[in-house]
Amino acid sequence: MLMREEQSRLLDSMLEMGDLLLESGGEISRVEDTLERMGMAYGARRVEVFVITSIISMTLAFPDGEPITETRRIHSSGSTDFYKMEKLNALSRQCCAQPLPLPELQERIDRIAAGHKPFPFVLWGSILVGGAFSVFFGGTVWDGLTAGVFGALVCLLQSRLGRTKLNTVAFNLLVSLLIGLGVGLTTAVIPGLHMDMILMGDIMLLIPGIAITNAVRNMLVGDTISGVVRLLETVIWAAALAGGIMVALVILNALR
Amino acid sequence: MKESVVQLIMALIGGVGFGLLFGMHPRHLLPSALGGVLAWGIYLGMMKLTEIEFLACLVAACVAVFYAEMQARLRKTPATQFVMGGIVPLVPGGSLYRAMSCVVRGEMEAARQYGSTTLLYALAIAGGISIVLALRELQTKKQ
Repeated sequence: MLMREEQSRLLDSMLEMGDLLLESGGEISRVEDTLERMGMAYGARRVEVFVITSIISMTLAFPDGEPITETRRIHSSGSTDFYKMEKLNALSRQCCAQPLPLPELQERIDRIAAGHKPFPFVLWGSILVGGAFSVFFGGTVWDGLTAGVFGALVCLLQSRLGRTKLNTVAFNLLVSLLIGLGVGLTTAVIPGLHMDMILMGDIMLLIPGIAITNAVRNMLVGDTISGVVRLLETVIWAAALAGGIMVALVILNALR
Repeated sequence: MKESVVQLIMALIGGVGFGLLFGMHPRHLLPSALGGVLAWGIYLGMMKLTEIEFLACLVAACVAVFYAEMQARLRKTPATQFVMGGIVPLVPGGSLYRAMSCVVRGEMEAARQYGSTTLLYALAIAGGISIVLALRELQTKKQ
């Protein structure tokens, strides 16, 4: 049986885990499910978890004594990191089978939290996505290569501006405006390139496709609040993306 | 035909790209991207058969999510990453862009058409996901 102090440390660790899971792209139901199972595995009599995109609230009630409750505000919407999600998932499975001692649990969580996606992966991912989808939508090989170069630019902007904590709406507006102008000017200078195809490829990088998919999944499994909130969020992001591109197109039309 | 093959290859490369971008473990990259190739292949086949975009996209999304659930079970890892890989080629980036460019050029009729195509695809993807999820729910409840 866990002592009172240990119970609150466990709650702390678990909230941290839920936070990471949510930020790395886990669905609401996954986070709630994971935390509930882990709480039970550690001997709680009752576990009440409530997760929405911006907050996790959790109550643990052990057979002895008062229930303890803590909430955690989730600030960053995070960047999808499937490897992190997978490791957290494995950790929770392990804990449910055989609960780890608390210091070890915390250490494992810290180690997962400290891990980052290797930057070259993200860079090459952006290049491949931009290039491949430009050709996918009917561009030539040269369009694909150009879209790849601008995909790398999107990636660099994301890693630069990401650190400034600019909100996603402003970020999407700015990046799509810059990319729109950049592609427009490049295609004006180099003949034979198709601005439309290149932009379509690079837009795929900025469209919040995974967030929309998650939002829909949330709604369908009954987490309506989070689903609606996230859907609205993604629609606003997409509108910002569209706005940036449109402003760029207007400017380019005026220059012509 | 040649166009379709190019699209399938690009769906594969793009799927791998998204996997890298989202920090997927390298051993899942190919299976996840193949889900996208499968989805796009089904989409192309359905378009040949019926020429109804919504239906083609819906069926393709269903197959993609089903494939994702299978992979996830096989590999004991969250299904989300495989769902992402399968859905990506269906995401209507092209029609969204065309709608915007029509708005800017003042061609509102065409813009409306591309805009509704974009929405239709988004709805079809969501519908496909929901059908498979509902079936899975039924199956787990039965057990």
